[in-house]
Amino acid sequence: MTEVLADTAPGESVSLERVPDEDVRARLLRLGFLDGAVECRHRVRKGPIVLRRNGTEMALGADLAAEIEISHAEADR
Amino acid sequence: MSCHETGGCDVDADETVALVGCPNVGKSVVFGGLAEQYVDVSNYPGTTVDTTEAAFGDAKLTDTPGVYGISSFDEEERVTREIVLEADVVVNVVDATQLDRDLFLTLQLLDMGIPTVVALNMMDEAEADGVDIDADALEAELGVPVVPTVAVDGEGIDELRGRVDEARAPESTPIERWFDELPDDVEATRAEKTLLVEGDEPTAERVSTGKVVADGGVPALTDVGQREDVYGHRRRRVEEVAGGVLSREERDSSWAERFSDLMLNPLTGTPIALAMLGAIFYFIGVVVAQKVVDFLEITVFGEYYNPVVEGAIESLLPAASWAEPIEFLLINGNLGLLTITVQYIVGVLLPLVIAFYFVIGLLEDSGMLPRLAVLTDRGLNRIGLNGRAIVPMIVGVGCVTMAVITTRMVGDRRERLISTALLGLAVPCSAQLGVIMGLLAGLGLIWWFGYVGVLLVVLGVAGLFLDRTLPGDSTPLVTELPRMRVPRPRNILRKTYNRTKMFLREAIPLFGATAVAISALDYFGGFAVIQRALAPITSLIGLPQEFARVLLLGLVRRDFAAAGMTDMALGTAEMFVGLVVITLFVPCILSMVMILKERDAKSALLMWVGSWIVAFGVGGLLAVIL
Ligand SMILES: Nc1nc2c(ncn2[C@@H]2O[C@H](COP(=O)(O)OP(=O)(O)OP(=O)(O)O)[C@@H](O)[C@H]2O)c(=O)[nH]1
Ligand SMILES: [Mg+2]
Repeated sequence: MTEVLADTAPGESVSLERVPDEDVRARLLRLGFLDGAVECRHRVRKGPIVLRRNGTEMALGADLAAEIEISHAEADR
Repeated sequence: MSCHETGGCDVDADETVALVGCPNVGKSVVFGGLAEQYVDVSNYPGTTVDTTEAAFGDAKLTDTPGVYGISSFDEEERVTREIVLEADVVVNVVDATQLDRDLFLTLQLLDMGIPTVVALNMMDEAEADGVDIDADALEAELGVPVVPTVAVDGEGIDELRGRVDEARAPESTPIERWFDELPDDVEATRAEKTLLVEGDEPTAERVSTGKVVADGGVPALTDVGQREDVYGHRRRRVEEVAGGVLSREERDSSWAERFSDLMLNPLTGTPIALAMLGAIFYFIGVVVAQKVVDFLEITVFGEYYNPVVEGAIESLLPAASWAEPIEFLLINGNLGLLTITVQYIVGVLLPLVIAFYFVIGLLEDSGMLPRLAVLTDRGLNRIGLNGRAIVPMIVGVGCVTMAVITTRMVGDRRERLISTALLGLAVPCSAQLGVIMGLLAGLGLIWWFGYVGVLLVVLGVAGLFLDRTLPGDSTPLVTELPRMRVPRPRNILRKTYNRTKMFLREAIPLFGATAVAISALDYFGGFAVIQRALAPITSLIGLPQEFARVLLLGLVRRDFAAAGMTDMALGTAEMFVGLVVITLFVPCILSMVMILKERDAKSALLMWVGSWIVAFGVGGLLAVIL
């Protein structure tokens, strides 16, 4: 069972492994969100999730977060 | 060519300099600093995107919508891509606090071979964040001029202006290794080739249709795109460049960050958002839409302007019969071109537009908008919208006409349609709400709850229905959260001024034409005909025939309809049904014109007819139940 972004809790550091939606993937790639670990900064219950990387924050809707597969970076802070 | 040869030197110069950068990096402030006097805001042809132009020496300076890269994911990106492809020089504004994010676009511009100067903006914030960037090293690394700036304080703008001439692009960049993949015979510029290998569809279409496909041998250029590879490789270059020039000192989180955290936590964010929305509603819906507008309409126009103009026209025009229709057109009491039409534009629309753009400017510059979107995303998902649609819905309670403009923010066509339709249908505007609240108060509190309940049900059902029936899927929320800032008054005022000017320029002719058409209908007795034609419908919802007059008044302005009901002798249930019907029934003429302007004629017509059906359907249902 792979883990998805929607399951992460605030404070966890994860890498986004598979983003099915092609446009969304290209947009995230452009901003560097597929380059390595990103921090899950907030999540609204059943709502969007806010990711952060090098001071850039991105919000992703819940449906999207449910289909993005992730892996945990070695050391969770 | 310079304007010494061509004579006049205006914004139609041949050379163009485009300001390009990610959203919110300060492009427009840099633009304001570089621009010489004359600034012209206009709508980019065929889109809902506004662009701003000004004279810059012999050249034309263009401000573009913010984008994270040159491609075609949305309308803004398509507009910026077009402008970049046509520009001779690009001033790439980069946010020094977000170097790693912004350099992607910079490297892309250089890959495209576009002569570029980099303005390294927000140096003040970078310093406060403990970020130190070696601008000289960055200049050496990129091979193009890099000028540190603090645009809001004018720092570095003169140097930037001086170095625009030095704009250049490196002779060759690593992108070229992908050019081999393109068929040998493509006739494309380096910029187009870059976009081709990135799989940019509009470019692929343009380049392949530019050639004669007669021999059928042209390979489909859409297939050669290797976006992932190219983007991934460019990202690695970005990391290298950024790593080499940037050093970061850990600082405590700033107030902006802490406030942002509060906003994004529903427990604290919801009350803050509600308080803020309440304040916005109070400002637009009560202070401006009622107090200021009342003063202008009743005192300025009612007591001074209209009587004076009417007197003047009456004494100017001879009492001959040929002059009578002209006089009617110019000064009739419903929508005279020189009286009530001017009153609507100057007395109603202008204050609302100014107030509204002012508030939008505040929300934009403070970084509030995307955070509101995050908070409300879940609820709006249910009716086929995403969080970005919160703004039109809130503004709509202030003034539907204004809200229709904000539907530009909500993403793609489908979402714009849904939010516009819901606005036109079930969101009562504050002008009407005032009168309706007064009438309902007379009926009793329970009717007031009933009224709100019926509207919410209609809103929800209509949203669900549109979400199910319209083709396509709702787009999920994907949005960057810019840092929170205290807005700079100058920037807000400049934006408000430019946008208001642009709005009036587009809206005045439309309203003028509408006024003439309605007056003509009125003059030739069209109203009475319509009133008779509506008789079966008014009886369907159990109301007397005079109610049709109220509906027609409601076309001109929603609050007129509500006001018209005050002097009808109706039973409690009839009154309730009537109020629901005039709320659901088509919005006022101003907002209809806005809908027509923002959407296409077909959607506007569908919404118009749809709201008739819903209004009378719901009205009929209520008449049966009650
Ligand atoms: N502290 C600081 N703030 C700045 C600077 N330059 C711009 N700003 C602020 O940044 C915000 C965004 O500026 P704009 O010029 O509207 O940004 P833009 O790039 O045109 O944004 P979009 O058109 O939305 O893409 C405003 O609140 C400005 O006041 C700067 O050098 N320092
Ligand atoms: Mg701007």
